Amino acid sequence: MAKASKTQIDRLGDRLKKGAVEEPDLILLDSYRRSFGTAYETVVQTIRTEIELEPTGRPAKSTNSLIEKLKRESIRLTQVQDIAGCRLVVSDILEQDRVVGSLLVDVFSEARVVDRREEPSYGYRAVHVIIEIFGKSVEIQVRTRFQHIWAEISEKYADLYGSDIKYGGGNEEIRRVLETLSQLIATYENLEDTLGRLEESDEVRKALEQISIFRDRIARELDEEISRIDNEKGEKP
Amino acid sequence: MIFLIHYNRTAGEIVELKEFEESQRVQAEDARLKMELDLIGKKDGDEVCLLEAGSIEALKRTHRRYFESLRMLTATGSHTVASIDKS
Repeated sequence: MAKASKTQIDRLGDRLKKGAVEEPDLILLDSYRRSFGTAYETVVQTIRTEIELEPTGRPAKSTNSLIEKLKRESIRLTQVQDIAGCRLVVSDILEQDRVVGSLLVDVFSEARVVDRREEPSYGYRAVHVIIEIFGKSVEIQVRTRFQHIWAEISEKYADLYGSDIKYGGGNEEIRRVLETLSQLIATYENLEDTLGRLEESDEVRKALEQISIFRDRIARELDEEISRIDNEKGEKP
Repeated sequence: MIFLIHYNRTAGEIVELKEFEESQRVQAEDARLKMELDLIGKKDGDEVCLLEAGSIEALKRTHRRYFESLRMLTATGSHTVASIDKS
């Protein structure tokens, strides 16, 4: 297939926004997504060799996710920055900062950082590094294990109850659970990070005991959620 | 490895999973397109995605929602917290 122009791709985006997806549009979208292949492969390979981490890759965003994004945000298809991407899950904020630093300083000079830890997106916390390479954007998601499990639970709720849940809409009770968990995890991770950077002392040991309280609260919140799911005779459906 | 997943969001379950070697990227992309074309006009809630990981186990760690129920995911979170408590 001949390379489509920017205008043709953006018109495709307009049609996708309207909903009904026909065969010619899927073929054009497929061709557009494949055009990110070289950029994607270069980024993943560079992460493997330069910082010796094994990312899980998503060479191209799914059609559903793409359509939902186009409908939700007033952007054109050629402006979508996460068509291709990959994910790294690390232990904690200290490691997250180290990996992001390596990506920016040691590996990719043309990069932009979106730090969703300070300004979470409806509870979603992570650091996204967007690489510009060969005229294409590739997004690297760097998450801690806690940020990751929160995001997975949030995604699953969105699957089962509608994607509004991820963007401030949908069932109020589910939103409350996700917000509470996100805030507890943020507090826990920030305390853990602060303490991890200090020398060991009695004060630090006392503070470590205090953060275990937050860990217990996170566990309790999750266990309560399991009970709630069980009480609803399992999850939907 | 490259994994082609047909996932039904409404059910929260994988309908079909196919595996390809890294050298079979083009075949995997062709299979994704065919799968998407076959689903035109069929039931809602279907998602077709292509993912890449060192192994299926690695994929299951970074894309749990495709493989685990809501209850399993929440329990995974609880276990994660518990494992830190013991360390």
